[in-house]
Amino acid sequence: METNGGLSARSTNPLPGRPATEANLADILERVLDKGIVIAGDIQINLLDIELLTIKLRLLIASVDRAREMGINWWESDSSLQKLDPGSQNGQLEQENRELRERLERLEQKIGASGD
Amino acid sequence: MTEELVWAYCVAGAPHGVSESGVEGRPVEQVEAAGLAALVSRVPRSEFAEDALRRNLNDLDWLARVARAHEDVLEHVLGETTIVPLRLCTLFESEDGVRRMLEQEQAALAHALSALSGRDEWGVKLILNKATLEEAILETSPEAVAMRAEMEGKSEGGAYLIRRRLERHVRDRVDALAAAAADELRAELDRCVLACVTRPPQNPELSGYTGAMLLNAACLVDRGGVESVRQVASEFETRYAHLGARVELTGPWPPYNFVPGEPDS
Repeated sequence: METNGGLSARSTNPLPGRPATEANLADILERVLDKGIVIAGDIQINLLDIELLTIKLRLLIASVDRAREMGINWWESDSSLQKLDPGSQNGQLEQENRELRERLERLEQKIGASGD
Repeated sequence: MTEELVWAYCVAGAPHGVSESGVEGRPVEQVEAAGLAALVSRVPRSEFAEDALRRNLNDLDWLARVARAHEDVLEHVLGETTIVPLRLCTLFESEDGVRRMLEQEQAALAHALSALSGRDEWGVKLILNKATLEEAILETSPEAVAMRAEMEGKSEGGAYLIRRRLERHVRDRVDALAAAAADELRAELDRCVLACVTRPPQNPELSGYTGAMLLNAACLVDRGGVESVRQVASEFETRYAHLGARVELTGPWPPYNFVPGEPDS
């Protein structure tokens, strides 16, 4: 598991289901698009321009608040991430809503069955 | 107007060997001024002028190829010298433009280089398998065990209500345990690194992770200090092995997240 700190040794602990051979594209994009020093070159491209990148790419580089402003919220439906994001209630409400609907359906079926 | 633009990768203090090829297979050159060196490539205007760039950046394959090439050039010099990474798409009309930039930004760049000297960025992620976590809670939580016992011998309707309560309990416990685990790892990292920032969890489609990413951190570490981060990661994994926790370490990265004067996320 030890690496020598070599440049090619990206991952010391690959997970099942993901390639360990090359660096995760998300790891690279979240850095090169959003970090690194910004120096005014001769060509002005604003990488944070809302129209510039597709929503999927925006997701990688947007802060949570910024993403929410833009209507991106995939992590909010992942219950294990909600506690990391105290502003989020939607996922839990959705789940509760779904449960209540299922329960109502079962009760209605029971009433229907006993009414026969 | 020439057919080419100049793509800049990074700034370094001392001249050094450069990698053979960069963005779109273009040779990497070194431009020097004000005691600093910038690594650059000449790239075709047809692909990198503003309109073309705007279009190309929305093509994931193009973006992935260029971003990887940019990163490869940085990694090639990372072990030899301190670098200040430039954001993707820092483009100049000519090498004179790069020289002017080095002169104008000399103070800030020199300050950044001295602050980053001998330090590397490492990525640390905590990934948890939620199904394992749920199973563990079903088996070990006294409330869960009690509710499961209570369900025995109940009518379908009665058992149904208890099952709903049980599911809610398990979900709450999963959330609480996951958040506590992420906080704990973050606190342990804070104790052994120079600086630590967290990023939003990554899009599973692009990152390829199958579990839930609870922590996505970047740490600034002294070159000799990565062993202590490795130890934190491995001890944490062992401690949380029963919950299916994985701590993944990546690096060394160019210090993208720690250039002085850059606002943190």
